Amino acid sequence: MAKYVAPVQGKVGQIIDVIVLLIMAIGALYIPLWMGLAGSSKDPQPVENPTWESLGQNPAMVEQWEKLGYSDAASAAELITARFDYSFSITALIVMIVVIVGYYAILLRFSEKEYREVIAEKFGE
Amino acid sequence: MAQAQTTEHVGLARVLGPAHIWALGVGIVLVGEYMGWNFSVGKGGAYAALMACWFAGILYTCVAMIDSEVTSTVAAAGGQYTQAKHIVGPLMAFNVGLYLVFAYTMLEAANAITFGFLIDTVATMSGHEAGSLDQRPFIILAIMFLAWLNYRGVLATLTFNLVITAIAFTAVIVLFLSTSGIFTDSPLRHTELMSGPAAMPYGWLGVLAAMHFGLWYYLGIEGTTQAAEEVRSPARSLPFGTLAGVMTLAIAATLTWYVCSGLMPWEYLGQAGVPLFDAARLSGSTFLMVFLGIGTMFATLASANGCINDASRAWFAMGRDRYLPGWFGAVHPRYRTPYRAIIFLVPIALIFALGAPIDQVITFSILSGLLEYTFMPLNIILFRRKWPLESINRGYEHPFHPLPAYVLLGLCGMTFFAVFLGYGTQLVAMIAFYIVVSLWFHFWRYRFVNRGAQFTMPWPKPRGY
Amino acid sequence: MDLWNYLEYAAWAASFLFGLFIVIDWIRTDSTYSEDFLTSSREGELEALTEEQHHHRG
Repeated sequence: MAKYVAPVQGKVGQIIDVIVLLIMAIGALYIPLWMGLAGSSKDPQPVENPTWESLGQNPAMVEQWEKLGYSDAASAAELITARFDYSFSITALIVMIVVIVGYYAILLRFSEKEYREVIAEKFGE
Repeated sequence: MAQAQTTEHVGLARVLGPAHIWALGVGIVLVGEYMGWNFSVGKGGAYAALMACWFAGILYTCVAMIDSEVTSTVAAAGGQYTQAKHIVGPLMAFNVGLYLVFAYTMLEAANAITFGFLIDTVATMSGHEAGSLDQRPFIILAIMFLAWLNYRGVLATLTFNLVITAIAFTAVIVLFLSTSGIFTDSPLRHTELMSGPAAMPYGWLGVLAAMHFGLWYYLGIEGTTQAAEEVRSPARSLPFGTLAGVMTLAIAATLTWYVCSGLMPWEYLGQAGVPLFDAARLSGSTFLMVFLGIGTMFATLASANGCINDASRAWFAMGRDRYLPGWFGAVHPRYRTPYRAIIFLVPIALIFALGAPIDQVITFSILSGLLEYTFMPLNIILFRRKWPLESINRGYEHPFHPLPAYVLLGLCGMTFFAVFLGYGTQLVAMIAFYIVVSLWFHFWRYRFVNRGAQFTMPWPKPRGY
Repeated sequence: MDLWNYLEYAAWAASFLFGLFIVIDWIRTDSTYSEDFLTSSREGELEALTEEQHHHRG
């Protein structure tokens, strides 16, 4: 098999490639942020006139809360009642599975094609 | 300069021993014990966090075993990137290289943010008006100082890491011993704090969800392989340093969980910024408080330091093969470090440390890590298939193959689901990024790579080709 | 102005100095050595290389 000789990349080309890569990387992090889709926050469930008992805290817990600087139940109520929402739609789950499996499938397929070339050139046909 | 040098080579310096490998691995990760792991308590309660800690421990034991086998055979800078290049193929290698650089650079940014936060806390405690301190110079200083250290040579960098990691680890042990009740009455109240609904506030779904931040107990240990070109005897030191590192972390993680969950109600612990420091505060001892404060600071610095080391090695290795512009493949003739890669990654780390919220940065880092762990079982299965045990000499052979590979794959699936529960959008955005970047590489960038020359291991032709 | 304000300035100054050192050394290195020499590192050549470097050092 003919040996593949890679072209030498000029300075400008090198700089452009780095910039392209950077734009894609920063985009991946910031686009979800800008679109406001990122992250999951806890939803506090407001309670009227909270007491340590109504928040389900036993004496040992109350003692530790006080040591941490939460002197009464009201100050800790928001922390204690906040919960994550773990509900999700099956469609979203399926989309995620397809995306992940598809991604690895593309990777393995293209890699295999390139790998055969590498081995053929390295070890000869 | 000298004419003779045009014909000479300059390469990385082979100066490290097994202790440096341990310090590199544990140093990057130990910060996870000081901050971040406790979000898993918020995700599912204290018991769920302990289960996640151990599940993640199993995940990382598999990672360490697989990694040790492959890397004791493929000993080159770039670690998993070089492994992927020899075993799976160029596109996979390009992706793995990017996982490495992003996981470490984001972790470095998160560490710098935490460092700034800690300085702010200390300033406030010492009477400075709360919130008036400008954290930016301290964040920048942490990154610049560590970049300078890395620039000046790997031996000093990792010796520094060894010292501060050992101090931070000792702090965890001392905190455990002094609160355990061996010497005095124990202040720990596990039974009361974890009774009733506080035991499993989200049920079993919480255990799954906790896996997301369960990774944080160990994330980065696989970075030991990046030092392969700088360690004196890679076939021996890398498996030893990596496996000792995982054991150290499993111990530190369990002790951290034990002390913290015995002192703080889970609702507080689940959102604490610096949980071990809080635990020391609750123990009532000023000595412990100061010691754990110093421990937290050292842990963030050790981690950022190791991250600069690892990210720059991966970036350098990709430049050397022309996967990235070849300009990055340069080695400093005097300090023998990949100096251009180190310089280039400084502003990137600064952009994220100064401009992005910490939980996003952490999630970006965890996701890149997770994609990398998913690659590892594929890697080892193909490695054993293409080069069966008798075909080449391995520095270390991991037992029970292919069981660890399948266990690892299963645990990765679980963690993907956990991330999906909280950060599904990021997950999809991130994979979309990697798909776009892969197409860019396959159809554009790969033309600059020489085909056969990138396969550098003295191995026989792989089976089946 | 209290101690922490001075520390802020000190941190800015120290960051600048570390950055300055890196940049000056970078420029000096790049202009002293040829590009071919700087990028001469190759994967897998290291064992032979370390031996060779021992002889040439100094």
